[in-house]
Amino acid sequence: ETTLFFGEAGPNRGARADALNWFVEDVAERTGGELNFDVQWGGALFKADAAAQAVADGVADAGTIIAVYFPQEMLAYGIADLPVQNPDPWVGMKATDELMRNSDAIAQNLADQNLVYIGTYTTSAVHIGCKGTAIRTVEDIEGLKVRGVGAYGKTFADFGANLVNMSIYDAYQGLDTGLLDCSQGYSYAVGALNQQEVMDSYTLLNWGQVGALGIFMNKDVFDGLPEDQQQALMEAGKGLSDEFGRLINADNEAAIEKMKEAGVEIIELPAEERGKLVEKGNTYLEEWVAQADAAGLEGEALLDEYRALIEKYQAERDEQGYPWERG
Amino acid sequence: MLSRIEKLLLDLAVIAVIALGLLITVSVVLRATLNSGIPDTIVMVRELMVAAIVLPLASTAAARANIVVEVISERLPRRTQDWLVVLGSAVGLLALAPLIWAGWREAVHTLESGSFFFGQLSLPKWPGRVLFLFGVTFCWIRLAVQMTGDISTIRSGGHVLVPAKHNPHEEV
Amino acid sequence: MDGTLIGLVAFGAVLGLLALRVPIAFALASIATIGTFVIFAFRTGAFAPERAIRPTSSLVFSNSFDLIHSYDLSMIPLFVALGHIAYRAEITTKIYHAARVWLAGVPGGVAMASVVGCGGFSAITGSSIACASTMGRICTPEMLSVGYDKRLATASVAAGGTLGSLIPPSVLFIIYGIFTETSISALFLAGILPGLVSLLGFLLVIYIWVKRDPAAAPAFTGTITMGERGRAALEAWPAVLLFVIIVGGIYGGIFTATEAAAVCVSAAVLIGFVQRKLSLRDIWESLRETCIQTTSIFLIAAGAKIFVAFIALTGVAPDIVEAVTAAELSPVLLLAAIALIYLALGMFLDPIGIMVLTLPLMIPLIETYGWDLIWFGVVVIKLLEIGLITPPVGLNVFVIAGVVGRDVPIDRIFSGIARFLSVDVLVLILIMAVPALSLLIPTSM
Ligand code: NA
Ligand code: NA
Repeated sequence: ETTLFFGEAGPNRGARADALNWFVEDVAERTGGELNFDVQWGGALFKADAAAQAVADGVADAGTIIAVYFPQEMLAYGIADLPVQNPDPWVGMKATDELMRNSDAIAQNLADQNLVYIGTYTTSAVHIGCKGTAIRTVEDIEGLKVRGVGAYGKTFADFGANLVNMSIYDAYQGLDTGLLDCSQGYSYAVGALNQQEVMDSYTLLNWGQVGALGIFMNKDVFDGLPEDQQQALMEAGKGLSDEFGRLINADNEAAIEKMKEAGVEIIELPAEERGKLVEKGNTYLEEWVAQADAAGLEGEALLDEYRALIEKYQAERDEQGYPWERG
Repeated sequence: MLSRIEKLLLDLAVIAVIALGLLITVSVVLRATLNSGIPDTIVMVRELMVAAIVLPLASTAAARANIVVEVISERLPRRTQDWLVVLGSAVGLLALAPLIWAGWREAVHTLESGSFFFGQLSLPKWPGRVLFLFGVTFCWIRLAVQMTGDISTIRSGGHVLVPAKHNPHEEV
Repeated sequence: MDGTLIGLVAFGAVLGLLALRVPIAFALASIATIGTFVIFAFRTGAFAPERAIRPTSSLVFSNSFDLIHSYDLSMIPLFVALGHIAYRAEITTKIYHAARVWLAGVPGGVAMASVVGCGGFSAITGSSIACASTMGRICTPEMLSVGYDKRLATASVAAGGTLGSLIPPSVLFIIYGIFTETSISALFLAGILPGLVSLLGFLLVIYIWVKRDPAAAPAFTGTITMGERGRAALEAWPAVLLFVIIVGGIYGGIFTATEAAAVCVSAAVLIGFVQRKLSLRDIWESLRETCIQTTSIFLIAAGAKIFVAFIALTGVAPDIVEAVTAAELSPVLLLAAIALIYLALGMFLDPIGIMVLTLPLMIPLIETYGWDLIWFGVVVIKLLEIGLITPPVGLNVFVIAGVVGRDVPIDRIFSGIARFLSVDVLVLILIMAVPALSLLIPTSM
């Protein structure tokens, strides 16, 4: 019987924690109780911005890595953070998961860092909530003080937003005092942090997600496990996106309801306006391709493959529904 | 020689504090007046924090400003207290050694891999790591020199520790 | 190797090194490093030291580097600098003179003003350490210069600093809210009354202390006419202006609490220049002192951070919580057990570390007893705040010790703290026994 350390920067509550607990139980079940995890929550072992190095060095045998903290080391995985049109959490996770699992180039790149990819979560679709104003067209963004993250934030800046640096936990007070006009976020996070109390409008961008966060393992430790346990880890990792997709969809819907009850106006950004966001965001896709090429990863080909996978899973969802809805 | 480098490092830390104070103030003023800002303020402030906190480490050691508990030791003979100071330095050398080894690996890793921070400017990760390695290494050298100095002071019959100004038995 | 045993041995070893006058930061870091090494070396059963080098060094590096490499904590050197610069620009002297003149009839008036000042500062910053380091730099030297008892001058500010997390905003409440999925704004509201009661408790301690020993707080002896009072109040304008800038800026949406520190330092420098009380040389000297003082605070905090990661590896915390769970205690006994656990951990570990180690296991237990999580949050934060001023590792006390240097040794400060602790325990019992004290404001809003 083996017990491995798992380092997780987040708390043991919420959809991500539920999905991680599911993963741990699934691994135990598949190995007949032979392989277990001792999860250290809340960054007790290391913070999110030290995760890649910490897992590679064996501080924990496995851990959650968020790619945005490692734009160089997690370059390939960062494809899931790009502002391509990719708003469905489940579709995004399946596409990312398949890409990460099947590309030898990515596996080799990770192996060079002593890491093995196991499975993926996502933050789900990027939307934006505002106080005292509302974003109905991209022109409305000009001159607003916005808390923006990643390539999405950069694109808001390109449309004339003034980016304000602050964490998602400070956004409540920022919106409340007027330091911020708008804050980029995810529906479930708005609900969890009660930001609906300080928002007047919430614009559904249906644009993309920050999807590059997932479970990785120390390669030496992984290689040292018997083959059936390696198999169990990979199978559980594959199932993670289905389980997390189910949890996050429910959470997001509940959060939107909570916002409506609080009197927040829910705005759907028109398709034409979304097109403008996607187009402006292309700069950052090109930037990523150039970086990937420089790292020997054939960026354009990976991006094409990723887009094809998004279409594949969108079609699967449209034809068969989400896995948890299929009787 | 050592004390001059120490002073220089302390002054560099002062410059880092001024820089991060100005950086934040200017970005607030720009936001409040022109509705604009300085990109990647957070990343730059974090890197400056490393300089501000780590570069004075050697000065802190030299000034014997590391905080200690004296409630038991001050009741011991003066000679024993001197040796306890040496023990404290020895434990410090032990505690800092793994930081130097890991700091070296991190500095090399970030330099070789070209790691950078996500942000509008894609600033490199190596400067903070190199500063950390430098500050801790210099503190280690300073402590080692201080410890050998203390040992020879004791050997020659002198005392390392100036007795405290207060009387330990006065109403505790 | 049994992790819990290693953990308990480590607690003892830290105590031993501290008794031998080893600097606190070095004692924590070295024991944590050795303990981590031992755990990693025995990871696969057999002793394999060569396997432990890489994870051990990685763990100590990332935990110390990440602590320093922080945007939010930049407020600590900046607020410390504010204290030094305001002192040299005579801004603090003026406000203290006003407090002395106006509170001349109140026993220990200046110490009380300091504690009330800590309460006011708590409404600005979310961190107890930031609170203690700023107010310690501002208040303690002024109290010492007018002849206050050293223990009173240091302990009152160390205790007052603990209000930083109870009175909103508060980093600890945010972390508790994330771990328990409770409303952060409800937690903030719940902290207000217990925070004010704690403040009143501290004032009471000062009152009794000075009543019994009037020499501890020499009263103002000059002539006090209305004109004198008015002049003292008018001369205190720079401090009032700084306070207005901070509060107006944060609550008026001009800057964040972190940014407030930088804006205030800039404003204090400007005021000092305009009044011709500051030279460039003064500023440089202030900042040198700031750097040495902040570095020694961060060094201890880094040692404590490494120690928390090591304790996480040992599994001590879950073992303790599981033992309590298995005991199926009555509610009163459970609450007493929880208080003992947090006070014991608080002797050594920092508040955030204790929360991430214990809450994942503690909260399910609390839920089986059907207790209110908002109220329990206030109880936990109060316990953690007490931990900041208990020996042997009391971060707030070390912060004040960093200000006063070797003039007032640690154990003198702790002996002064003992009086504040006794009232703090009464306040804690009150918070535990009367949940309405915490829940009145959040449920009525
Ligand atoms: Na506060
Ligand atoms: Na303590």
